Amino acid sequence: MEFTMGLSDGIAWPWPIAVYLFFAGISGGAIATAIFIRFYKGQTENTPFYKAAALISFVTISLGMLCLVLDLTNPLFFWRILVYYNLNSVMSIGVIALTAYIPLVALITLLAFEDEIRKIPALGILLPVIEKLKGVRRPCEVAVLILAMAVCAYTGFLISALIRFPIINTSVLPALFIASGISAGAASAKMLAVSMFKEEMHSQDMKLLHGAEWPIMAAEILFIFMIAMSLFTGNAGMQSAFSAFHVGDWAGVFWLGVVGVGFCGPLLLNFATSKRFSHSAQAFYASGVCAVTGMMCLRLFIIYAGQNFAI
Amino acid sequence: MSENIERRRFLKCLGASSLIIAPLGCSSVKEKESDANKPHYAMVFDQNKCTGCGECKEACNLANNLPEGKSRLLLEQHSGGLEGQPCPHCGKTTECGCERKFVRVSCQQCKNAPCVTVCPTGAAHRDEKTGIVTMDASKCAGCKYCIGACPYDARFINKETDVADNCDFCLHSKLAIGELPACVQKCRYDALIFGDIKDPTSYVSKLLRVKDSVRMKPGFGTEPSLRYIPIVKLGV
Repeated sequence: MEFTMGLSDGIAWPWPIAVYLFFAGISGGAIATAIFIRFYKGQTENTPFYKAAALISFVTISLGMLCLVLDLTNPLFFWRILVYYNLNSVMSIGVIALTAYIPLVALITLLAFEDEIRKIPALGILLPVIEKLKGVRRPCEVAVLILAMAVCAYTGFLISALIRFPIINTSVLPALFIASGISAGAASAKMLAVSMFKEEMHSQDMKLLHGAEWPIMAAEILFIFMIAMSLFTGNAGMQSAFSAFHVGDWAGVFWLGVVGVGFCGPLLLNFATSKRFSHSAQAFYASGVCAVTGMMCLRLFIIYAGQNFAI
Repeated sequence: MSENIERRRFLKCLGASSLIIAPLGCSSVKEKESDANKPHYAMVFDQNKCTGCGECKEACNLANNLPEGKSRLLLEQHSGGLEGQPCPHCGKTTECGCERKFVRVSCQQCKNAPCVTVCPTGAAHRDEKTGIVTMDASKCAGCKYCIGACPYDARFINKETDVADNCDFCLHSKLAIGELPACVQKCRYDALIFGDIKDPTSYVSKLLRVKDSVRMKPGFGTEPSLRYIPIVKLGV
């Protein structure tokens, strides 16, 4: 005996959640890449990429929180998530991680913009704070690096706990979200570093990031392929969910947005064009925009196609 | 010297691990204790008796002060034509020979309830005294995590209160005053039976001892407390 009706009205988590997953991924990916480069190369100054990443990270996580709160049935209820905890709940653990992550990112952003703040007399009151915080910069950065990865992974664990949806209820989702968060986070921070903070497009930092782009993209493709294959070879419910890849509007979003724009876009721009064009500013920005768009499409596909194909 | 470092490291690790473990005790959700003496309320839906009249839905709406037209349960028709609508089984819009079959759609009152696990605030919780999965409306933040997590899609947002809602066997409205759930009271065909299956003398226990019953989607491992007695084919 079975029933197919449901009491909820359609999809429980609509697009604001996809946007939230997108912002949280960019935030975590951007700051993690910047801190990793800082440690890896032993940098002590605030590089343009570091500034861009800190700013992006703080802005996106704030916007993400806004999406999250606005998606509540009544946004005024948000304080309840901060007051009551259930440590069996992935969401509750995520809230704990975010309450540590957001202030620490704000702190790192403050430290990253020390020089800019010095130039503005009105912000003079912040200088003694910055001086005091400098002592804890290193441990904070280590904590943020770990928390940023945790936040990226958390967005995956959060939805993979929804057991009714075969596309969402997969174990590789957190890994996929870390990989795509890093690629889109790094891409957006790169673009901001060059456009706003006068980073040279072919500097050493940029070269390092550019080189890391392809293995990360390969990992993303592999993870998506793993999800598709496990659905394809799975039980009846999983096999019917596999049709999300070739039936309906969201299949279009997947093939055009995720595969076409997100993966083929940067690959073609970099390897199928003349060397002169692939090193130009247009190619640099287009490739970055492609990576970010692809990531947004991936989140939308997972959220919508995932919830449309329930067991 | 090396001993000192060892001890220092040991104390450091001890401090760090206690910092990690300590918050586990601060949860605002109580872990379930041994439930040997607690009742286990169950409901049986007898498909042989249900005619699909829908009075259970109306009773539910009234008893629980739900928004107009909304109830915590639905009836899904599996076969037999209603006037003007095609029979879900054979597809005919005219009179068909199919037997009218209905299925109750409502919270399955799982023993391993995913909604209780995922709820970040503990609003979706198990009532301590009765073991019934119910809502603390004052804690619900309206995140809809429980709605997505429910394998039965049996939870919904109450548009008037903006919080999640589920069938809790009328825990606060009827059981609280010693009555049976509203739908059970209302059903004039005795298609719904409610009681404590831990009590061997209860009617529901006796019924389940002699009748074959099934649970919905047992593969999820949620162990529902709602049992279904399906219509059995005759003359096979």
